[in-house]
Amino acid sequence: MREFEYFAPKTVKEALSLLSQYKEEAKIIAGGQSLLVIMRQGLFTPEYLIDVKGISALDYINHDEGKGLRIGALTIHRAIEKSPIIQRHFKVLSEMEGNLATIQTRNWGTIGGNLCHGDPAGDPAPVFIALMAKLKLASLGQERIMEVEEFSKDYLEVALEPNEMLVEIQVPTPPPNTGTAYEKLMVMKGDMGIVGAAVSITLSSKDGVCKDARIALSNASSIPLRVREAERRLIGKVLNDDLLAEAGQVASEEAETTSDVHGSAEYRREMVKVFVRRAARKALERARAG
Amino acid sequence: MSKEERHSVIGHPMPRVDARAKVTGQAKYAADIELPGMLWGKVKRSPYAHARILNIDTSKAERLPGVKAVTTGKDFGGFRWGWIGTTRDEEPLAVTKVRYMYEGVAAVAAIDEDTAEEACELIEVEYEPLPGLFDPFEAMKEGAPLVHEDRPGNITTEYHWNFGDVEKAFAESYLVREDNFKTPRMAKGYIEPPAIVAYWPDSDHLTVWIAKGSPYFPYRILARCFNLPLNKVRVIQPFIGADFGGTKNDMVNGDFAAPILAKKTGKPVKIVYTQFEELATCLRRHPVWITIKTGVTKDGILNAIQTRLVADGGAYTRMSPLSLYLMGCCMTLPYKLPNFKTDAYCVFTNNPSSAAMRGHGIYHTRFAADVQMDMIAEELGIDPVEIRLRNAIENPEPGEIYHTVNKLTIGSCGVKECIEKVAQAINWPETKKAKKVDGYLAHGVGVAAGTYLSGARLTGHAAAAAVVRICEDGTVNLLTGASDVGQGSDTVMSAIAAEVLGLELKDVDIKRVDTDYTPVDPGSFGSRVTVYAGEATKRAAEDAKRQLLEFAAKEFGIKPEAMDIKDKKAFVKADHSKSIPWLRLVRLACYTTPGNVIIGRGVSTRGVGQVPNWETGEEDVGANYSFTAEANEVEVDLETGVVKCTDNSVIAHDCGFPLNPPAVETQVQGGAYHQGVAAALYEEFKMDNGLTTNPNLVDYKRPRAYEAPMTKVIHVITNDPFGPFGAKEASEGSCCTAPPAVINAIHDATGIWIKELPAQPEKVFWALKEKRGKPPS
Amino acid sequence: MNGEPKELKLTINGKPYELKVKPQALLVDVLRKNLKLTGTKQGCLTSSCGACTIVIDGKAVKSCSILALQANGHEVTTIEGLADGDKLHPIQEAFIEHGAIECGFCTPGRVMSTKALLDENPNPTREEIREAMQSNLCADEGYVKYIEAVEIVVKKTQGGS
Repeated sequence: MREFEYFAPKTVKEALSLLSQYKEEAKIIAGGQSLLVIMRQGLFTPEYLIDVKGISALDYINHDEGKGLRIGALTIHRAIEKSPIIQRHFKVLSEMEGNLATIQTRNWGTIGGNLCHGDPAGDPAPVFIALMAKLKLASLGQERIMEVEEFSKDYLEVALEPNEMLVEIQVPTPPPNTGTAYEKLMVMKGDMGIVGAAVSITLSSKDGVCKDARIALSNASSIPLRVREAERRLIGKVLNDDLLAEAGQVASEEAETTSDVHGSAEYRREMVKVFVRRAARKALERARAG
Repeated sequence: MSKEERHSVIGHPMPRVDARAKVTGQAKYAADIELPGMLWGKVKRSPYAHARILNIDTSKAERLPGVKAVTTGKDFGGFRWGWIGTTRDEEPLAVTKVRYMYEGVAAVAAIDEDTAEEACELIEVEYEPLPGLFDPFEAMKEGAPLVHEDRPGNITTEYHWNFGDVEKAFAESYLVREDNFKTPRMAKGYIEPPAIVAYWPDSDHLTVWIAKGSPYFPYRILARCFNLPLNKVRVIQPFIGADFGGTKNDMVNGDFAAPILAKKTGKPVKIVYTQFEELATCLRRHPVWITIKTGVTKDGILNAIQTRLVADGGAYTRMSPLSLYLMGCCMTLPYKLPNFKTDAYCVFTNNPSSAAMRGHGIYHTRFAADVQMDMIAEELGIDPVEIRLRNAIENPEPGEIYHTVNKLTIGSCGVKECIEKVAQAINWPETKKAKKVDGYLAHGVGVAAGTYLSGARLTGHAAAAAVVRICEDGTVNLLTGASDVGQGSDTVMSAIAAEVLGLELKDVDIKRVDTDYTPVDPGSFGSRVTVYAGEATKRAAEDAKRQLLEFAAKEFGIKPEAMDIKDKKAFVKADHSKSIPWLRLVRLACYTTPGNVIIGRGVSTRGVGQVPNWETGEEDVGANYSFTAEANEVEVDLETGVVKCTDNSVIAHDCGFPLNPPAVETQVQGGAYHQGVAAALYEEFKMDNGLTTNPNLVDYKRPRAYEAPMTKVIHVITNDPFGPFGAKEASEGSCCTAPPAVINAIHDATGIWIKELPAQPEKVFWALKEKRGKPPS
Repeated sequence: MNGEPKELKLTINGKPYELKVKPQALLVDVLRKNLKLTGTKQGCLTSSCGACTIVIDGKAVKSCSILALQANGHEVTTIEGLADGDKLHPIQEAFIEHGAIECGFCTPGRVMSTKALLDENPNPTREEIREAMQSNLCADEGYVKYIEAVEIVVKKTQGGS
């Protein structure tokens, strides 16, 4: 690996000072489980590396019924997977983490690092989109909130200003009668999904009609893709399996799949149909269970 | 050898002698070796698959601080090497032409790896790209560019064998089928990349630590390359992270670069390949296109098989002649086959070279033949287990031999028992008749049977030897040239010595191969170690025993033949009360003035001198043959095409007599999963004009723990007359039975036939879709 | 730009270490090259083989995917730290006795993954054992004996037989 200047700030303020000093020439490393792979291959050679893994203040999982879930950006995947709070209130997050790479990666990689890496094949982003999550981005003396959906710009490109850092993920308490699920196509457990689908369905407590549906895909575009046309096929209707299949079909048409060694664009499109339907079925079951 | 004879050591479960070193991290592999002043080396590689080298400028690299030496192909003075004397077509580093992507053209030694890598980037090479050939069928065409100027038609090797009269047999057959199959280009799969540490103790002596399963190959080749007599080339074998054929028993660019850089710098030089180099440049399993035509009677009895094979041998010959040979010579096993014809071609292309891999050769055609057998069974309405039992070769009676039409000598054949036991264990036919589909999941079960040769007989130095030294405290030093690459041969050799000498396993210490001290052995390939090195060890131990018994016999005034040694006691056979404890006997021998040095030597030349005829396909390619039957259940996701093996998996293996039963089980399970199921379901190098597009373990998926079937292994014991203690090879057979068993299981679950491996999800998906009658969108 | 060596203070197998390493040094390289702890292996450099698995603060991690400096202030356990003098750890014993070691290259990493698993969860299901080893690629063994060996350890420590 090429040489770089290295800093290990212990507080957010220190990290943000460094960022504001070095801006584009600096790169933040958290767990490094995605970043080191490309750095080792020489595909990415920053001048300055700001190692934030030691900022313990950003390692937390907080919850209250009002505000919902607050996850510090440097929380490791394994903590999210095992958190009793998350297992009780946001089970889909724990499930998603359980299939994210392997335990050894989850023991060091962080949720913030994963989101900021901006890989459209990543599992967390589409699930957070389905959950209407927001991100808190901080720079020296400033903070702003952004929808997770707005965060990804392009393949490995996210909407972080050069002097900014992700500090928190905020997941609102879902409305009543909401169910969320994430399913992805793996050949082996822990594989990056060939495609994946996160679906959130909210039913009206009066008549069981679908009040809201949110569907986001992984590895079906250059960013985690929200498929609104597919959602519209579900909203306002009493859901049945045919409608879920229709949503899958429409989602596959909205998807912008590409080919690689793991699957052709065509095959991925077919799999979008399958996984939107499978995730939607699960989400609907959960929504009905209340 | 009667079943009643009881052994004290062999045949019983025994922990491996090297297990402790490995499990504590103390075992040193080639990349762990460090010497004072050691430098790190890196190979510079060609970005073209086929190009002339016009010029190499190493001046900038040489000037980089930290660089100690640079070498190019010219430094080797025109040396060429190959797997056998007549196929020396490869250079240590390419001189005039590169023939595959990333072929090595230069190398650097520097104070650390990063500097060496940086220096490689500073080496400037001028190439003239040439048109490349990446498809063997294109390469065989008239007018195609030549990979090697002196090899017209780009044919590496070809065989045309003819036994009996296949045309007549087809004409007389009730059913004749012809089908096409294909096996994938695969990585060997071991995790440890190739590595070497080389140094020159003085200008006349070369020492290398090298991760090779056949250390006597580099021994001879490096001797020739550096003009050294064999007695001054020392190849030391550290622990090895597996060797499934190919790279770990053959040379790579780094294996030449390290010694020459060590010579130039006067310092030890280490070169450790990255996994990328392993996957992108090193030897892979041949992809083979197989056309197989089979004729059977109405009852499904085989009349004739005719095959046409085209294998992509890649850029250099390597051991393709042997690979191609093995693809055909055992077609006459495990079923009775009166007529067999084959036309087989191995072709040069500008892809990285192909070579041996566990299950060498036989796996390709056994896959095709055993899947086609299921197709035939289906057409005739015969049960797949039944059709195999009808065709299986019977176990010869003691003293009798079964000869195949191509003159293979079969002293034992447990395949029928294997098939029966496997069918019983998997609860056939109930499992086969069970409900297949449940929602979007379908289950199916498939069987296959196969064979593998043991004790490969080849030309060149094929004998093995062993030396047993009795230390004066009664412990034993064992020296063989046999390589334990993880298959447990060190343990088995030690056990054989202990058995013969009447000792316990812990009394024997086997030394790792060091060509200065250990006697020659061709290496760990062709399942030869147990059979040949085992035989040599047995004889060496017997020799030492004879020498000791001479002393013992004097004490009782009888002939040595009247005594034996068991349970650490030398005793008179006719009167067990007359005995000498082992330790006292050893002391007697060693200290009775002037004190004898007890060294036993043994050589195994079993069958050497009778090598098979590659031109005609006749004669034994092995000292004996193992037999295997396998049954696997799969679960198919009908919506995605993902196929998984379930835990319902059984293998029955006839290795004659298992010398270390748990080791045999592990080997059989591993061979089936990593080399068999891997080919059936997961692995394939995807090539793009000579470029390996998936040279990493994320994009090239290898089988893992979560998906591993908990395969049960059943031992079938046949006590082969030609193996030491009745033993034959263990586990290359299961590499060959797993792929057809899995493909047959997929068919059982879904009705589709996947004839081109691997059955990756997308392939299965489209096949299912086609079967449902809808064209792919 | 010159990355000056920085101070690294950590505990490895119970012993404190203080050394200076370059920022770009990976933990696996510092263990193997600087500290000569060659029990931890390097197989792939793409985080996909698990041969480099060690334990940090009780968690199994891949040392090829961690900058050495990130281990600053942490407790590292490698394969060399498992045995207590001559007395092997129960996992090591079970692997030997059950014949779960072939070429041995993946063994150190696998043993460390298992240690982390059993320290956190002394009574894992078979599925959990498989998951703990999913990162540890083997090419030899078929994984059957590994899973069985771990189940033997679990049985023994849970008081059964």
